[in-house]
Amino acid sequence: MTDNVMIKVEGLKKTFGELEVLKGIDTEIKKGETLVIIGPSGCGKSTFLRCLNLLETPTAGHVYLDGKDITAPGVNINKERQKMMMVFQHFNLFPHLNIMENITVAPVKLLGKSREEAKEDAHNLLVRVGLSDKENMYPSQLSGGQKQRVAICRALAMNPEVILFDEPTSALDPEMVGEVLDVIKGLAESGITMICVTHEMGFAREAADRVMFFDNGVIAEDGTPSEVFDSPKNERLKAFLSKVL
Amino acid sequence: MRRERENISLRTLIFICLIALTIPFVLQACGKEEAPSKSPVESLDDLNNATIAVQLGTTGDILASDIEGAEIIQCNKGADAIQALKQEKADCVIIDEEPAKAFVARNSDLSILDEEFAIEDYAICIAKDNDELLYQINGAIAELKNNGTIDKIIENYIGDATKGSYTYESPAGLDRSNGTLVMATNAAFEPYEYVEGGEIVGIDVDIARAIADILNMELEITDMEFDSIISAVESGKADMGMAGMTVTEDRLKNINFTDTYTTATQVIVVRNGTAEEKESFIDSIKTNFIEDNRWQYLTNGLLTTLEISFFAVIIGIVFGFIIAILRATCDITGKYKLLNIFLKLYLTVIRGTPAMVQLLIIYYVIFASSGINKIIIAIIAFGLNSSAYIAEIVRSGIMSIDKGQFEAGRSLGFTYAQTMWNFILPQALKNVLPALGNEFIVLLKETSISGYIGIADLTRGGDYIRSRTYEAFLPLIAVALIYLVIVVCLSYLVGRMERRLKNSDR
Repeated sequence: MTDNVMIKVEGLKKTFGELEVLKGIDTEIKKGETLVIIGPSGCGKSTFLRCLNLLETPTAGHVYLDGKDITAPGVNINKERQKMMMVFQHFNLFPHLNIMENITVAPVKLLGKSREEAKEDAHNLLVRVGLSDKENMYPSQLSGGQKQRVAICRALAMNPEVILFDEPTSALDPEMVGEVLDVIKGLAESGITMICVTHEMGFAREAADRVMFFDNGVIAEDGTPSEVFDSPKNERLKAFLSKVL
Repeated sequence: MRRERENISLRTLIFICLIALTIPFVLQACGKEEAPSKSPVESLDDLNNATIAVQLGTTGDILASDIEGAEIIQCNKGADAIQALKQEKADCVIIDEEPAKAFVARNSDLSILDEEFAIEDYAICIAKDNDELLYQINGAIAELKNNGTIDKIIENYIGDATKGSYTYESPAGLDRSNGTLVMATNAAFEPYEYVEGGEIVGIDVDIARAIADILNMELEITDMEFDSIISAVESGKADMGMAGMTVTEDRLKNINFTDTYTTATQVIVVRNGTAEEKESFIDSIKTNFIEDNRWQYLTNGLLTTLEISFFAVIIGIVFGFIIAILRATCDITGKYKLLNIFLKLYLTVIRGTPAMVQLLIIYYVIFASSGINKIIIAIIAFGLNSSAYIAEIVRSGIMSIDKGQFEAGRSLGFTYAQTMWNFILPQALKNVLPALGNEFIVLLKETSISGYIGIADLTRGGDYIRSRTYEAFLPLIAVALIYLVIVVCLSYLVGRMERRLKNSDR
């Protein structure tokens, strides 16, 4: 295993009852890489993402984070998850906490940061996403795009090494997609490792270092954006692209 | 998932209370004024086919059930039997002579038939295995009979010429090193045992004191339903039962009796066909609440009711939340199946049996021979009962929270417990607050059955007044009004709390 591998996946399988969703995934994701995963509905791309931080327990296989097998028994998964944040399709902000509290709760309670320090960090993050005036509002007072930008701040506040994006723009009105993608693009340039499941092909082409096409529980194609979009080899990928582009 | 609910404004609150206050006057005005019909029972021969009211478990009850064709109404108290007679629900009441005299003296529309129904011997009941106490008390009764103390005590309560002639006094500086003698009684049986000035007094009480003095013991009196006395003595809750109790075959199966300390007559009380002289409403209030400071039964009872409810709610919340969280965890993770089955069983048993039966089981079976304060037992019983309901309310609240909230908490690196505590419970609680408030209101009213284990709660306080004034109307209405006012206030508070919580997430 080389030093610049962030995540290594070995023989990852996941079944729900009779249904085999992931049929054995092997891959490596490098530090600082921006990986975009595309594919038709039900192909297993979201399940793959959720298996990486063990929100779903893999049926078989191993996930190594920075060289450490986090699927091994006895691993404190709560500690490992702190290095690998997730941004959800439906934002999942805490409705009973205001924006500032949503962002500071984890750094204060889990990283032991002082409230003042956490607030200052949160403020800086909110400035970065253009929401510094919303600190004292509650999630229900924000638009979808604003909520997702707050959710990204919540993840960044933990200073993670990896961020997993699970269809971050799928629940948004079309006019709000751009503001969220702009934030994610900005992050890609900051050098953090990102894995993003999305249907936004334009974004994938523009921001990704690498694009993976999932089909029927396996990685059907894996390459640079130009390889995947401009000269697809897999027939299913060709059919998929012809529908979405 | 927010539930909408009508909130009571302060103005509505005052309005409801005002309406409630007028209810007694309206009901009083509606009461019928015509003279009641004369009882069809005029002699012993008429008892066949008559409807007879008795006090449950008394000699009258046992003898009446042998009368052919008679229909028996079993009441918890003598006063209730008399009330049934007055309201023409019964044709006559069979009851001990002395209480009967007291009832008739207060109700001009009632008379005692000249023919006596039966003569009976009163004795003290003692647990079967407690021969030593039986022997000692028999000795004490013999001594008190010989030196005329018992006669003097009885004359003090019975007979117009001798009433108030003698007050039993314990000898000064008596040695009470032999412990406590607990007497179970039913203080609604004048003149043998009744409540006056907040204390239980009467012939039996004075005789019991004299016996305790001879045995060098401290007397402690515990009040309960008449039909509970024998089981209380059997289970060791009390050392002896003394409540104008007659020796019968049935009772001897479960309990021993001392020698007779006095005899009494069972008589028949009937309606004489004359109209009762009605007291004015103001006079009625005076007799029921002002005289003898009877309002204190209600205020003291209210305090007891609030005490029981308050602490029971705390137990209910603590256990309810623990059970809810454990159950939700079982449901969410699919682990700990055995624990889940056990908890489900607990909830099914508690929710599937009446609170009253639970209270009696906890008092008479689980804490049978322990000296734990009755109020604490009631708090435990109601607390456990409430915990089952609170558990299911809170669990439904937890399950109503979007799964994404769990995932958000876990993905940030919080443990299951931290996620539950920081993110799930605060939201769940807000969702179930109306249901919880409702549960507290139900619990408060449920405590009205505490009287069954002899706790002087608010309802019992009303009963005490009834047993002294022989009037059902005002004491019951007063008790109902007090409950109503508290419940309305509670609803108001819950409503306010809800609105405050609602504001926090807008």
